Amino acid sequence: MKYVSLILSLAVLIIAPFLGEIAVNIQEIFNPASASSMLFWEIRFPRVIIAFCSGAILALAGLVFQSVFRNPLTTPFTLGVASGATLGSALAIVFFGGILFWQYLLSFFGALLTVAVLFLLSRSLKSAQTGSLLLVGIALSFFYSAALMVLYYLSDFEQSYSIVRFTMGSLNIIGFETVYPILIASLLFLASIHLQRKPLRLLLTSLDFAFLKGVHVSRLIMSLLLLTSLAVAVCVSVVGPIGFVGLIVPHIIKLLYRRSSDTLILPTFFYGGIFLVACDLVARNLGAASDIPIGVVTSFLGGPFFIYLIVQRNKGK
Amino acid sequence: MLHVANLTAQILKNIRFTLREGENLTILGNNGSGKTTLARALCHLLPSQNIFLEGKNMGEIAPHLRSRVINYVPTTLDIYDEYLSVSDYLELNQFESADPRKREEILEALEIEHLKHSPCQNLSSGESSLLLIAGAILHRARYTILDEPTANLDQAKKVKIYRLLKNGSYFQNTIIITHDLNLAYKLGYDVLYLEEGSVRFFGGCGDFFDPSHLEGCFGNAVQNIGGNFVVNYDEVR
Repeated sequence: MKYVSLILSLAVLIIAPFLGEIAVNIQEIFNPASASSMLFWEIRFPRVIIAFCSGAILALAGLVFQSVFRNPLTTPFTLGVASGATLGSALAIVFFGGILFWQYLLSFFGALLTVAVLFLLSRSLKSAQTGSLLLVGIALSFFYSAALMVLYYLSDFEQSYSIVRFTMGSLNIIGFETVYPILIASLLFLASIHLQRKPLRLLLTSLDFAFLKGVHVSRLIMSLLLLTSLAVAVCVSVVGPIGFVGLIVPHIIKLLYRRSSDTLILPTFFYGGIFLVACDLVARNLGAASDIPIGVVTSFLGGPFFIYLIVQRNKGK
Repeated sequence: MLHVANLTAQILKNIRFTLREGENLTILGNNGSGKTTLARALCHLLPSQNIFLEGKNMGEIAPHLRSRVINYVPTTLDIYDEYLSVSDYLELNQFESADPRKREEILEALEIEHLKHSPCQNLSSGESSLLLIAGAILHRARYTILDEPTANLDQAKKVKIYRLLKNGSYFQNTIIITHDLNLAYKLGYDVLYLEEGSVRFFGGCGDFFDPSHLEGCFGNAVQNIGGNFVVNYDEVR
């Protein structure tokens, strides 16, 4: 099963840049003068990398958040981090005419602001009360959604359309400028979580247990949250909020591998990336006139599958 | 030396006592009298400034050093991850080396070696109790607090744990919380009796189990039958 999925995944990764509205001719990709080469290197190839990195970040972020909050339904999206970034982008669309630089900057700022609020509140809450923090995150999400509604109200038709497109998530990217930040962010994120896998394993028992084994629990949790939120902020500012990846991929990997979460860091990262590449492949090849927004595909595929998983889980008990 | 200096926290009121090196302690008290709260304060899960270890405030000891000194074993096993196995759990209790032979030894001693690869979440409550004790033996802190270790065990396992505690080579200093008066009596540790968050008795085992004193604490709910303390179910009040 594991080998089959690995081979399948690699196949998806290899064929992904070749398929699309216009098929790429393999013989021409190394001929710089051809249209196929231009299409392959400037559009398809960076798009696949961005899809892979975003999916990987979101899936690993989900795994970390689920472990830290000891709740199988948490992701950076439920904590309001992604909503903060989304609001930042929407602000840029309305007040800075959608200039990309401002969109990135404000997304980043929105996510960081959310983390800062969570961080400060968590210090006034009792050190190990992650439940309260989660409630704060949910409250923040609602607050950001309301602010987004105000923005819709204030904006004109064109701006509203841009906001809607952004909130659906999009991988329409040309060139390599946006590839580097997300590639670096995803690799740094993977490395930093991998380095913390031992304390993370202690957290998988209980917070008290980790404390009694000498872990500085609140410090560990905060560093994990900060790292994850930064990676997610980079991801959201580049591709918009793409839901469900962070929620379902860690659960699928757990069912597939049946190992404790700390040993699933690399598989979650890898298959998260593959999942989004595959979803993007569907999005690019189904719509005739233009791409279906990627957020729609992940939710359409992810939603029913997730419900199936929950039903299966409860059947077993 | 573990010293509690006038601890007042949550339900606890003015708790003070000292436990010297080599001394063990049994904490007794009715439900809700503050036994677990006291245990959590001792190991700093409930932060306080009133616990001293060799004269040093517990709050000022670095977490990794504190973990070598004091360990608390709760009554129930709390594991979030559904695939973390018994063997994984035991490994997390090993500080110096992750020697698998030591894990095997403990599992054999407690007769749960067949559960080695089971996920912790699948264990019964009795098996979980045994796993908690096995983990504490591997952790081997200078002071180990066991919170009702025998509450979920069958009779034979209770005897096993009693012998293991009596043996003395598994733990250094033990503090045991229990409702099993017979166990407390047979262990013979000093007794700290809590009542509504205050120390009502602190002293030798013999003094605590003196018939007149015992009746003051438990009425006639407890009977001494041939040197064993048993619950008297016929008692009316």
